[in-house]
Amino acid sequence: MDIITITQPRQAHTAMNASVSDDDDVEMGDMQENMDINMNIDIDGSRAKAEKDIVVPGEMITDDPSWMRGHGTYFLSEKTYSAKAGTILRVNKLLSVIPFKGRYSPETGDHVVGRIVEVSNKRWKVNIGAEHDAILMLGAVNLPGGVLRRKSEADELQMRAILKEGDLLNAEVQSLFQDGSASLHTRSLKYGKLRNGVFVLVPSNLIIRAKNHAHDLPGGVSIILGVNGYCWIYKTKLNQHTSTGVEQSKLEAAIKSSVGGYKPGAGTVSITSLEEQSSWDIYSDKNDAISNSIKETISRYKNCLLALSHCNISINETRLAKAYEISLGYGDVNSLVNYDTQQYIGDDLINSEKMRGSE
Amino acid sequence: MSRFELYSPEGIRIDGRRWNELRQFHCQTNTHPNASDGSSYVRQGNSEVICLVKGPMDTTYGSSSTKQLPDSPVLSISINHPAFATMERKKRPRNDKRLTELSIILKRCFLKTIVLHNFARSLIEVTVTVLSFDGGLLATCCNAITLALIDAGISLYDYVSAVTVGLYDQTALLDLNSLEEIDLSFITIGVVGDSDKLNLILCEDRLPLDKLERLISLGIEGCHRLKGLMNDTVRQVGADLLSKKQ
Repeated sequence: MDIITITQPRQAHTAMNASVSDDDDVEMGDMQENMDINMNIDIDGSRAKAEKDIVVPGEMITDDPSWMRGHGTYFLSEKTYSAKAGTILRVNKLLSVIPFKGRYSPETGDHVVGRIVEVSNKRWKVNIGAEHDAILMLGAVNLPGGVLRRKSEADELQMRAILKEGDLLNAEVQSLFQDGSASLHTRSLKYGKLRNGVFVLVPSNLIIRAKNHAHDLPGGVSIILGVNGYCWIYKTKLNQHTSTGVEQSKLEAAIKSSVGGYKPGAGTVSITSLEEQSSWDIYSDKNDAISNSIKETISRYKNCLLALSHCNISINETRLAKAYEISLGYGDVNSLVNYDTQQYIGDDLINSEKMRGSE
Repeated sequence: MSRFELYSPEGIRIDGRRWNELRQFHCQTNTHPNASDGSSYVRQGNSEVICLVKGPMDTTYGSSSTKQLPDSPVLSISINHPAFATMERKKRPRNDKRLTELSIILKRCFLKTIVLHNFARSLIEVTVTVLSFDGGLLATCCNAITLALIDAGISLYDYVSAVTVGLYDQTALLDLNSLEEIDLSFITIGVVGDSDKLNLILCEDRLPLDKLERLISLGIEGCHRLKGLMNDTVRQVGADLLSKKQ
């Protein structure tokens, strides 16, 4: 039975769909023509999809039962099908489909940014944009003061003094539970509560996984590109050694007053003096003094990040720095919120990469 | 009988289509990247629908409190049919029985389509908003939800594409508009991928049983064509994303 359809004219795409007639936009044909796209590549006798091929839900990947089936696939009568729209990934004998888009799925070792949503029994629930909230155990955080000891009941009662609902923090995924939810830890000086900056949300699939996700950018600004797409742009932390003793003690006093007398670890001796110095400000709620020029730079970086996300361009620190450079040519920070400007920045970035030859 | 000539002796329908002709189909995905995990826009003729999918997420984030299930997700589908969407501006009650029924039908359909065991203890929230209505409400919603779920990266066994088929005298008519829908008896069918399996079937009128097979076979062909069109869009969007990867 023939079906008549009229579709919008399309350029450039005609190579895929040979049935579009030349002069008019009427496509009159039968189902066979659309099937062309779904043709499978013949690999050593069995019908199978090649790596990096685009697959869509319900599309057969292979009819060879010897492959192991990973994420994004399902198995029906000896054949492996895709369950998601994405690209095929083969690791040895494991076949999986990496979706183009989707919620962040945590992996051990990921550097993520999250927000506390709940304080409960010996743990914090953290929203990291994944299917389930992550868990941060009380035992997996550094106490102010950098002391290493078992957390007592007193610590348990004072959990809100360390992190409370709505606080942003960066952390590392320590392990995964059976259902795929993550357990986090902040047992390093580079992790912990976030301040002095602005939060930006981009789709997690745009973040390019790298060895390091915390970067110092030109302009006195640093960024944490969380693997989960949650980003934090902030004023670069001054080197601990340059801060004067007066400043330090001021900060300390401020924190003491803000936490209402609770001083976990106060009076105990920490392992290193560096830790001692840094420990007091890690759970502070107060921002440092930020100059207007730094604030403007932060906003510009934020808008550049949003521009990249608007154009669906994958993000890493080099691209962001480049986008920042390009954005300087488009005038004021305010003008960057315009979708047209964002598109220009994206196009310029792609073009400049093409000219340099992609790295 | 109708005031209109629904099907002329020359074989032309009221809007100039043939009996086996689909209305113009246009779809987009990722239309609301900031408001949802997956979103789509579908236009079939003058019926326009947008669909937003949130999730899979913890059940605590849902707009209404839901009980979590141990081995499958909670799927909630709601359909908004605002007053401006139809020709005569008509305020609908908050709990429209018909819309509730349609959303239950869609929910049943997609519970069979989503790979459930991947989403234990979570919530998938689907919101469909009708921008303009010109027949084929259930079918358009179904297509929009399929695209939005794919865009959200939710595991599906296959596409579900849906279309309406009506019966005029002895002739089966494909993809009815609202004028035809008022006067003819019709069925809505949803097909799984390129197979002949039906995941969705709804018949609200009286139909001669001997014509049913003919209607279904025409509908299946129509669904396959729609699936092809949706597939093209999904692939194109994916290829575009890939090209901007480093």
